[in-house]
Amino acid sequence: MPEVTIDWYIALSVILFTIGSLGVLLRRNAIIVFMSVEMMLNSANLAFVAFARYLGDLDGQVLVFFVITVAAAEVAVGLALIVAIFRTKKSINIDDMNLLKG
Amino acid sequence: MNAFGLAPLLLLFPAIGVLFNGLVGRRFVEADAKVGERWSGWIASLMAISSFVVAVLLFISLWTNGFQAMIAPIMDWISIPSANFSVPWAIRVDTLSVTMMLVVTGVGSLIHIYAIGYMHGDPNFSRFFAYFNLFIFFMLILVSGSTYLVLFVGWEGVGLCSFLLISFWFDRTNAAGKAMNADAGRKAFIVNRVGDLGMILAMFLMFWTFRSLEFGAVFSTAVEMFESHHIVEFGLFSAPIGTVITAITALFLLGATGKSAQFPLYVWLPDAMAGPTPVSALIHAATMVTSGIYLIVRSNVLFEIARASGPVIFGVISTPDLVAYVGAFTGLLAGLIAFTQFDIKKVLAYSTVSQLGFMIAAAGMGAYVAAMFHLVTHAFFKALLFLGSGSVIHGMEHGHHHLHELSHAEHGHADHHEDVFDPQDMRTMGGLRHKMPTTFWVYLVGALALAGIPPLAGFWSKDEILAHGNQHAIAVYVVLAIAAVCTAFYMGRQLHMTFFGEPRHAAAEHAQESPALMTTPLVVLAALAVVGGLLNLPYLTESMAEANHHHPGGLFLALEGWLEHSIRSFELTEEGVFALPHTPIVLSPLVAGISTLLALVALGGAFYVYRNKPETAVDPDPLQKIKPLWWFRILPLETFYMKFIVPPFKWLADWLAFAVDWNFWHDFVHNNLIRDMFVSFATFLADVFDKFGVDGTVNGIGSVTKSLAGVLRRTQTGFARTYALGVFLGAVALLAYFLWVLY
Repeated sequence: MPEVTIDWYIALSVILFTIGSLGVLLRRNAIIVFMSVEMMLNSANLAFVAFARYLGDLDGQVLVFFVITVAAAEVAVGLALIVAIFRTKKSINIDDMNLLKG
Repeated sequence: MNAFGLAPLLLLFPAIGVLFNGLVGRRFVEADAKVGERWSGWIASLMAISSFVVAVLLFISLWTNGFQAMIAPIMDWISIPSANFSVPWAIRVDTLSVTMMLVVTGVGSLIHIYAIGYMHGDPNFSRFFAYFNLFIFFMLILVSGSTYLVLFVGWEGVGLCSFLLISFWFDRTNAAGKAMNADAGRKAFIVNRVGDLGMILAMFLMFWTFRSLEFGAVFSTAVEMFESHHIVEFGLFSAPIGTVITAITALFLLGATGKSAQFPLYVWLPDAMAGPTPVSALIHAATMVTSGIYLIVRSNVLFEIARASGPVIFGVISTPDLVAYVGAFTGLLAGLIAFTQFDIKKVLAYSTVSQLGFMIAAAGMGAYVAAMFHLVTHAFFKALLFLGSGSVIHGMEHGHHHLHELSHAEHGHADHHEDVFDPQDMRTMGGLRHKMPTTFWVYLVGALALAGIPPLAGFWSKDEILAHGNQHAIAVYVVLAIAAVCTAFYMGRQLHMTFFGEPRHAAAEHAQESPALMTTPLVVLAALAVVGGLLNLPYLTESMAEANHHHPGGLFLALEGWLEHSIRSFELTEEGVFALPHTPIVLSPLVAGISTLLALVALGGAFYVYRNKPETAVDPDPLQKIKPLWWFRILPLETFYMKFIVPPFKWLADWLAFAVDWNFWHDFVHNNLIRDMFVSFATFLADVFDKFGVDGTVNGIGSVTKSLAGVLRRTQTGFARTYALGVFLGAVALLAYFLWVLY
């Protein structure tokens, strides 16, 4: 069984980040987009802890706690917004939210 | 005794008088004419007398301090350290200036007192005395200044006072309705400007050459420069010092011809008689008109250098010789014109011009002391004659007034008619010796003194000039001797027409003697006219002169001994400076005898010619038969000026005013050039620069922004995913950039 090295962690982080990015760019459902953003954040968290362990430095792990905290707050605000939008528009398709255009 | 510190008081007293009479005097007179006039007049007189006392104290101080010139500073007037130029205002107390101060304040005080009587009842009584004190103030500045610039301040100041006082009755018009008095004042002022130009140019030249205007510095530098054959640089050209000093003195002569009424600028003085008679006596006989002589005598060093330089500028004549000839010619010309005058004051005016000619001639010949001597004695007897004539005029006016009252009483008001009566016309006088005995006697003394009858003052001073001419300039002597004959003749004519014979007009019959306030100064002046000769009595015989080694001493040559401390007695030649051998001034029996004899003959001749003529006021003058003599009446420069100088001047002034100033300057330069250029420039700014430049820029920025925005708005699609792509690509680009920069 091959040893799980830092490369594996980084590769997984990159894959997760790519999936998240594509989800943000391609999907129209606001909830899915939101989940994709969370996936990007967590891919970043994975990279942080991987590097922290690899370097034997706790800074990265500490930072991850902050990220999770901010992400939790963001989720609270973001979901509230989506609920508010849905109440007025009866839709959470983000392409319908195009009032601010030039 | 040392009273030099009191010198500023000399100027302070008249200044106080000016302030009093100028500011509050009028209220006094208006409140109570009698008391007000007394205050106004006596304060003015008191100020003049106070100045006289100061002058006497300065005189004593000089006497007891070895006659050394003293400078009493008052203030730093002009001081420009960078140009090394400073003009202090200081009073120069030396024997020459003190002589002038004594004459100005002494004779001035007497005339002030006389004027209280003469101006009685004039509505502008206090204005007159304000001007009179102002004149004394400026005249004292003139004679006391220690620099040429301060002298010039006084010179202009007395000119101003002369103008103010000649046209004192500026609202009086003659029969033709012309304001003759105001015109006369203007004429005096304008003619004097010509002379003053000479003064200003002379001072410019002097400052350029000597870098100073202070008497002592100028004179010592001038002598040094002359000895070292200095060349004065004028930038483009240069001139030897002798030539420059000749030019300076020639310009001084121009100044003196204006102020001292010499040919060709004498024309203002006869007209100046329009002023009140005390003015004629003080300003136009005794003091102001002598400032030209004072100037020449003060600048004697420069004139002597000009003499030594020879005829450099005019090619034929040196300045002092020109001065002498101008003086002698004026003396004779004015003497001849005096024959033809009927106005009692005009005769005296031309006589003054003539006597000033004597003084100028004396100064030109180098007889500076004789010039000053004649100046002093002339101040005495000419002031006396003018004041006497004022007394006569006063008496005649009184008689005329009296006559009117009589005709009123007899005929009532109905057939009263205003006849044209001139109280100054000698043809209406006659026989006044019985009506005005005091005036007659003092007038007689003055006339004989002027005519040069020994032992009166005029004889000694005139004889000194003639004797000097006889020794050094025979041509000047001959001309002046003839002028002296004229003097005696016209004074005889005047005496006879005024005081002798029978009254030719009812006014003369009713003439009255003037009040004591007027006659007392006359008596004092008459006394001075009698004893004035003692001031500078020449040695009567050669042996008396030998006994005193030809130097002033005892009773003799007091003025000579006094003034030699101010007038340098040296002779300059091309080789250097020599002490001047003291000219023994011994009475020349020949010269004195000839002039006395001629004067007596002329006086007798005048009395013979006029023994009973003219019989009535309208009779022609016996002299009118001698036609050429009367040409002088019409020939004088007056006509020449009016014909040849005034029209071109007026034409030039008109041309300058209308063609140059109005048409060219105003219309062309202002309207066409400046205004049109301004308008076209403004049009350019408004129509081109503003419209296309400013508006174009602003609008351009707007439209460019607008069109740019039109393009950029397309990027704002409103689709969140597009923006997200933008952010993503941006992040990728940044990452790529950092990777590229770091590795």
